[in-house]
Amino acid sequence: MFPLRVRSYFSLLQGIASPAALCRRARELGYPGLALTDRDNLYGLWDFLKACRRESLRPVVGAEVSEPGSDRLVTCLVRDRAGYANLCALLTRRHMAEVFSLAGDLPPLADGLLLLCRDIPLLTEYRRLGLSVAADLGAVPTGDARRLRNFALQNDLPAVVTPDSDLGEENDRQLYALLQAIRHAETISFAMRDGAAGKNDVHSLAAPEFYRQRFAIWPEAVEATARLAETCTFTGPAFSTVMPPWRGGEGRKAAAVLREKAYLGAQVRYGDDLGEPVVERLEHELKIIEQMGFSAYFLVVRDIVHRRGPDGRRKKRRICGRGSGAASIVAYCLDITNVCPIKYNLYFERFLNPGRTDPPDIDIDFAWDERDEVLRQVLEDFRGHSAMVCNHVFFQPRMAIRETAKAFGLPGYEISRLTKRIPWLHTGGAEGLAESLAELPTLKDQDLSPPWPEILALAGRLIGLPRHLSVHPGGVVITPRPIQEYVPIERAAKGVPIIQWEKDGAEEAGLVKIDLLGNRSLGVIRDCIAAVNGCGGQLDETLWQPEDDPATKMLLAEGAAMGCFYIESPAMRLLEKKAGTGDFEQLVIQSSIIRPAANEFVREYVRRLHGGAWQPLCPEVGDVLDETFGIMVYQEDVSKVAVALAGFNSADADGLRKIMSKKDKMQRLANYQAMFFAGCAERRVAPEAAAEAWRMMLSFDGYSFCKPHSASYARVSFQAAYLKKHYPAPFMAAVISNQGGYYSTFAYVSEAKRLGLRVLPPDVRLCEIHWTGAGREIRVGLMAVHGLSAEFLARLLAARGERNFTDLADFFHRTRPADNEACALIHAGALDGLEPSGNRTVLLWQWASFQRALQDRRCLTLFGVKLPPAPPLPPPDARSRARREFAILGFLCEGHPLQFLGIPGKGRMKVADLPGRVGRQVTLAAWLLTGKLVSTKTGEAMEFLTFEDETGQVETTFFPEVYRRHAHFLRSGRGYMLTGLVEEDFGALTLTVDRVNPL
Amino acid sequence: MGQSFRMQERSVLHFNVADFAVAVEQVADVSLRGRPLLIALQAGRAVVYDMSEEAYRDGVRKGMALREATRICRGAAVLAPRLGLYQKAMAAFFKELQGYSPLIECGRADGHFFVDVTGTHRLHGLAPDIGWRVRRETRASLGINPIWTLGTSKLIAKVASRLVKPVGEYIVMPGEEEDFLAPLPVTVLPGLTGRELEKMRDFRLTTVGALAGLSRHQLMVPFGSRSDYLHDLSRGIDDSQVSRPGAAGDSIDFEEIFADDTNDRRQVERVLGVMAGQAGTRLRDRKQVARRVGVWLRYSDGAQVVRQASCRSGTAGDFLLRKLALDALQRAWRRRTRIRSCRLVCDRLQRQSPQLLLFPEPGRDPGHTKVLTALDTVRHRFGQGVIGIGMRAGL
Repeated sequence: MFPLRVRSYFSLLQGIASPAALCRRARELGYPGLALTDRDNLYGLWDFLKACRRESLRPVVGAEVSEPGSDRLVTCLVRDRAGYANLCALLTRRHMAEVFSLAGDLPPLADGLLLLCRDIPLLTEYRRLGLSVAADLGAVPTGDARRLRNFALQNDLPAVVTPDSDLGEENDRQLYALLQAIRHAETISFAMRDGAAGKNDVHSLAAPEFYRQRFAIWPEAVEATARLAETCTFTGPAFSTVMPPWRGGEGRKAAAVLREKAYLGAQVRYGDDLGEPVVERLEHELKIIEQMGFSAYFLVVRDIVHRRGPDGRRKKRRICGRGSGAASIVAYCLDITNVCPIKYNLYFERFLNPGRTDPPDIDIDFAWDERDEVLRQVLEDFRGHSAMVCNHVFFQPRMAIRETAKAFGLPGYEISRLTKRIPWLHTGGAEGLAESLAELPTLKDQDLSPPWPEILALAGRLIGLPRHLSVHPGGVVITPRPIQEYVPIERAAKGVPIIQWEKDGAEEAGLVKIDLLGNRSLGVIRDCIAAVNGCGGQLDETLWQPEDDPATKMLLAEGAAMGCFYIESPAMRLLEKKAGTGDFEQLVIQSSIIRPAANEFVREYVRRLHGGAWQPLCPEVGDVLDETFGIMVYQEDVSKVAVALAGFNSADADGLRKIMSKKDKMQRLANYQAMFFAGCAERRVAPEAAAEAWRMMLSFDGYSFCKPHSASYARVSFQAAYLKKHYPAPFMAAVISNQGGYYSTFAYVSEAKRLGLRVLPPDVRLCEIHWTGAGREIRVGLMAVHGLSAEFLARLLAARGERNFTDLADFFHRTRPADNEACALIHAGALDGLEPSGNRTVLLWQWASFQRALQDRRCLTLFGVKLPPAPPLPPPDARSRARREFAILGFLCEGHPLQFLGIPGKGRMKVADLPGRVGRQVTLAAWLLTGKLVSTKTGEAMEFLTFEDETGQVETTFFPEVYRRHAHFLRSGRGYMLTGLVEEDFGALTLTVDRVNPL
Repeated sequence: MGQSFRMQERSVLHFNVADFAVAVEQVADVSLRGRPLLIALQAGRAVVYDMSEEAYRDGVRKGMALREATRICRGAAVLAPRLGLYQKAMAAFFKELQGYSPLIECGRADGHFFVDVTGTHRLHGLAPDIGWRVRRETRASLGINPIWTLGTSKLIAKVASRLVKPVGEYIVMPGEEEDFLAPLPVTVLPGLTGRELEKMRDFRLTTVGALAGLSRHQLMVPFGSRSDYLHDLSRGIDDSQVSRPGAAGDSIDFEEIFADDTNDRRQVERVLGVMAGQAGTRLRDRKQVARRVGVWLRYSDGAQVVRQASCRSGTAGDFLLRKLALDALQRAWRRRTRIRSCRLVCDRLQRQSPQLLLFPEPGRDPGHTKVLTALDTVRHRFGQGVIGIGMRAGL
């Protein structure tokens, strides 16, 4: 018996077991191999092949192909390479074609495929066409199976038993019912009793003997499975490295064109006299690039960045080359990265080295609102040869709990009350989930009475199952041959074609991807420069050297970089303030050393930066870490130290660096550890030094950065900081307009006020959709008014473009807002200018009058509506007015919400008073902006929270015990009374909180 | 109205037993008096049905999760609601009032009674005397201390009782209605929707007087077709009659509050089946038929859906009533969210026709009549819950 039809959890919301679990079970049950046949996809192909290797099973690649609108299915098993390409094409057609039928679309692509089918008309048709086909009797010898077998006997077709499994184990039935309830938006009670899960045709993979006994009456149907499996010799695709094709050059080799363009670019970057270091570096890189076949790849990326316009001339887009690719001088000379690798001592081998087996990718950031257009053009230019990489979205704790609770019928508010307060969870199983929740301080007052225990137990089992596909943020694969010969393609919800593998699968297959990502800050810089130049300013970007501007450095040294790309987080600003330098080189170090597992090294870095004594790890490490004061800061430092201390070769050193950022790394990391200590011992490195080096390497757990990436981003950070320093109004307007910063709009508005800018309320006669800033004023954009539809905004701008609004009736008549839109505009103050008294109660009345007039149609005239005078209604009191404005805008144009909270008590501090209170206990009222939850060495949760009042921001620390007591009522966007100790470290103030009460 | 004709001012008494269920329970067990008391079913996900003044002051509200309520009002006694007992108490109170007027209007086990005593002074004395007397009598006979208020309409009497809750009395003299209402917040007015109150807040119409300051035409602007009602309401004008029990438009009504809210369709269908049986028995007893069956579903998130199914000729048979109820349920239950309560309302009642059917109609198998008669006999003898119509799986 060979299982020819097995579904894994990649048959979304249908199967339960992972490919790895299925393979493990198949081996335990004594099967020689296994076919994975997920419904309409090859999502799990690479997991399956890996698991088969691990379990020494013979893989058979396949998929079930379904017909939309019917329950007909054909299981396609791949016999050879041609069959694989055909299966990919078939699955692509299944997903992309508007009309798909198994009778019409399958036969032309059946070469190299073995088809298992239950549908007698289809079997008849396939047999007539001479396709390789067998009758699929399923897992139970039913009456239908008997008819099918008789048909097969009469027509001389093989008939086979298939496990047809959806369950991982027999006790998965409730979980299966849950999946069905989620899939069909039913309740779990319905799915268990009346739905698909209540039926008896759901199975798990059983032992071969089980099928032999069950099909004892038709033993040949069991034996035939092995015979058919023998004919499927394909064991997985082997493309080696698949590079994007470069179509330019008119017959010239890509390497020659790359060399020419790199040298031309170098002359632009460095002048006609290139100098020895530049030439040497160029030659070194060009040699490796050519040797590894990456020349075309560079040229393709260059063409994307410098797209040819309709006039045939290439124009460079605003970009920021990121990732390790920024270490390449060739990339710098091609103008696809922004920092000089020689000037900043960037390590090319981090990007490309002859020992590297996995293909590296070049990552390019575009302005966030231009990125989709870039992607569209790339997909259009390489139509049929390109698609985006997908993400396999798995159930995470929050999603699993939400979906399970919905299937149990719990009301939305009750579900949200729990899920919104789950900050993070690391759990793998059902028990883990309930326990983790019970331990969460944020859920201290949460009622977890029945049916929650049952929900959590089931949700725990749901975690880790795939839910759906999404689109990778920017990964694009371009292939020389039609892409559907490599991998099935489907269309994502947003309309772009995606491959069925996520980035690890694509990498495993050898498909080299180009990351084209969106970056909000490039939009900020673009908009700010346009605003500056639009108001008569002259900012020439070709001559712009913000890194050398003393005022910008001073801003950074003061930790005042809120709004500046990459360096605006509270932790980063504190570090900038402690460092107090504002230098480009230090900023590169700082933005890399801030990573989850490196806290203790941050403190040590600041000490050493301020002249504290330090020794290198050991003499053998040489000067490798000198520029970072003997501390490993960048990813490549791991590789460098491994080479220097333990004699690793480039490939192993790179492998060690890479494994640090992986989640499932324990075994491979242990191997590297043994190798590292053995290497150190061999080279007689002191054991303490080796241990210290290893400890430092472990601080790269989770995410970390390479120097080229940090340097490239630091340049953008400096540009942003320069603009903030010299053009605060247009800068802050651009930061808020482009959205997506670290902080809320509320926090940025407060920052603008602290910069001395006046925040002008929205006004339908004056403001744009985005925020605008000039001089010492910023004007709120209509985008800030919640609830306005894009259609209404378009109508408003069009109407205003014809002529400006004269009065309320004119505005209502020509823009026709919906009720919620008109009310939002009134509460936001955007219509104050159209009512002489500015009385918002009267504005609301007039809006109601307009609506009534529209209904009556009596007041309608050729020239619009004439509104009767409103009765004498009092304006809203200041508190109500502020409350409504806050509800609509999310901030107040004037004043601070704390003013309206009626805070009691005298002697309270303001944030601005804290510098004079170092070492003392203080009590202050403050507004919570944001927080960062961290884990102590002992695994306890604690949080760093940022608060503000009218006078400034303060960073606070909630140590575990305090956090446990208060976490359940801490929410950003609310006021609190804080009591704690003011502390200072290298000039940076923090408040260590003891007590907190909501206001 | 002509000047020569002066209609006699009406005298409407409103009796209100605050926290009626609690009051009844405290009569049944005097040791509960003065203590926080919650009336709720005993189940993990039960919600508060009623609560005592002490619990209210601690922040407990009707519909709040019982767990939450017991958390914020520690030490509160929790009793399961006894709807039968409350209805019995209502009936007893009703009996006390019957001696004073035939025009009595009351709610469903909620402790509210309107009594129109216009023109009864020769028989029973002045209206305030009736108020005092009823209070004295109910205190003595039932142990219940009701609020009583007197006004010229149900509106005035109702508003007045909201001012004196939980104990007291209030008399609004004829002609003083508008002055009485003017300084009061609009929230004391009965019958306003949440949306209307929100609009009033928006327009800063905080008092009834401010609302009365607007003309009908002005009220039309924000409130549309409700402007006439609001105009009268704000001026204390209410011509609605105190309607007698059993008057036209009456309906038969059953409700099941699920102790633990449920999304098990079979459980809800089963409950509806039982209620349809009870409704059938009641209708047959009254010799009536219902032409419409409504199902009111209240979801756990507070949303309520009402759907109806009707039959032209009306029915009193369990089979057809249940079918209509299940049809209505099918249309009402469109969400996955759990159901907190389910109500069956049979209305458009009319007299049973003595005319026999010429042709058989669906759901009116003549053989059913015998079954139903047998069912009624058993129910009358052994109780409503002892026998019902079974449901085949898959129905």
